Amino acid sequence: MKNKSNSILGMAFFGPALVLMTIFLFIPMILTLIYSFTDYFALNPKLTHFVWFENFSAIFKDDLFTTAFGNTVKFVLIIVPLQTLGALGLALLINRVTVCKRYFKVAFFIPVVMSLAVVSNLWMQIYSPEGILNTMLSNFGVEPQPFIYGASQALPSIAFMSVWQGVGYQMIIFLGGLQAINPALYEAAEMDHASSWSRFKDITLPELKPLCVFVFITVTIGAFRMIVQPMVMTGGGPSHSTYTIVYDIYETGTVNWEIGLASAMAIVFTVFVVILTIIQTVLTKDKEDRHEKKKAKDI
Amino acid sequence: MKRKKQKIFNIALAVIMLIMSLFFLFPVIWMLANSFKPDAAITADMNSAMAFVPPAPGKGFFDNYKAILFDTSFIRYMLNTLFYAAIMIVSGIIVNGLAGYALAKIKFPFRDRWLAVIMMLMVIPAETIITINFMFVSKMGLLNTVFGYVLPMIVNPFNIFLFRQVFVSLPDDVWEAAQLDHCNPVKYFFTMVLPMSKTVVATVSVFTFLNVWNDYLWPSLVFTSSNLLTAQIGLNSITSNDNTTMGQTLAVITLITIPVIIIYSLFSKQIVEGVISTGSKEG
Repeated sequence: MKNKSNSILGMAFFGPALVLMTIFLFIPMILTLIYSFTDYFALNPKLTHFVWFENFSAIFKDDLFTTAFGNTVKFVLIIVPLQTLGALGLALLINRVTVCKRYFKVAFFIPVVMSLAVVSNLWMQIYSPEGILNTMLSNFGVEPQPFIYGASQALPSIAFMSVWQGVGYQMIIFLGGLQAINPALYEAAEMDHASSWSRFKDITLPELKPLCVFVFITVTIGAFRMIVQPMVMTGGGPSHSTYTIVYDIYETGTVNWEIGLASAMAIVFTVFVVILTIIQTVLTKDKEDRHEKKKAKDI
Repeated sequence: MKRKKQKIFNIALAVIMLIMSLFFLFPVIWMLANSFKPDAAITADMNSAMAFVPPAPGKGFFDNYKAILFDTSFIRYMLNTLFYAAIMIVSGIIVNGLAGYALAKIKFPFRDRWLAVIMMLMVIPAETIITINFMFVSKMGLLNTVFGYVLPMIVNPFNIFLFRQVFVSLPDDVWEAAQLDHCNPVKYFFTMVLPMSKTVVATVSVFTFLNVWNDYLWPSLVFTSSNLLTAQIGLNSITSNDNTTMGQTLAVITLITIPVIIIYSLFSKQIVEGVISTGSKEG
């Protein structure tokens, strides 16, 4: 009796979420998978048939998608090292500094508070041909640069801006990690007269390793999802130099209504994100297991 | 001797970092200082240190802000967004909170499998299904409606999981006592469970607010009619208007950031703990 009333109550509590999840998460996911094997064109759905893997071979032969894919990889390659190492460096410095600690924490966190649209609009002014950045650079004898208005500089300019905006967030995560390290470890190293470099290499880095993996992967996934900044600042240009995978999904699906193709792109994109997440889980789990074993041995 | 050296090092480090932070923040300082100037002054000051100094308060000091507040629909966009955020917070706490409670405390069929499904859903990025959801919403005739914007966003696997983690540690005997008193379970949830878990309710509310306030892609798809726009989408229609001056652009992006700064300064503790706990939980 009690079991039965519990099942009813459980489903009643879980029900509203389940209904919404089914309509807006499960069904769209299944449809994305199914549509990726069809030539579904939303303006003429009656002509739809299964084309199996044709979409997938088509997008990888498509110049625009391969460009978008390459650009996304470039974004990842610029953003990930700069943002991860930048955040770690800032966290180490702030952890070390004794004066105005709170000011520094807030200062480097401020851009995180601003939205993507705000930061993009602000940096469009900063990067403008007669803007403040070009004016400041001209004082050092640097010729005016095109930044987001030049095909070769647009992508690195947007990537740099993204790092500027995001680095404070990971800095806070690293600071939390640094403060969680057991001070006894450093005291022991002090007794052994360990140099500050070896203290960093032998204590700080190993203790922060799981956090580094986490930050590395989340920043990679974040850069992989890039769309709003190019959308606001360059419209994917000049000459598609800042067009990204998600931008292509968006335009193919919601502007051109080629749902079949867009779904295939979405599947490719999702596979990459899922793989990255699995790598993160495996790497951090491995570390935790060893930690547990080590602790068991110590006892 | 060693302590003196240490002290000099500390001060030198602080000075270097101060310079770094000023370089880092130059776009923000420039934005604030120039949001009070007419365009002629912005251009004239560009090549001097005055570019980073606000003008002396006087006549016309707030002109850019006045133009944004009174000559554009900006206030309307702000109020729209506050309204959407309020709906999203209330409905999100009810739907995700009830689900989290069921997963934490009520033994119903396949409960553990549902929990595993929720955790898997956390991995799938929103961009995967945005096309299909947009198609759904437009086929249901919900484009340019509050429902079309809110409904797909209410359920949030991450928030369900967050609620579940907190509710799991609530004592069981209160629930059993409530059952003996024939307390209505829904009433029990709203009068006992939620008030006992103020921290997680606050965290979820703050993060929901920030999500709605900063969201770009989904509202840009759902809303095309200008009197429904959110602040972020409205911002773009203001700044891409040729009549908007540079100073006004800087004023509007400052205005749009103010509510977020207020939220961050009121809830900085919850937010920082939230940020750190996502890091340490997964790491």
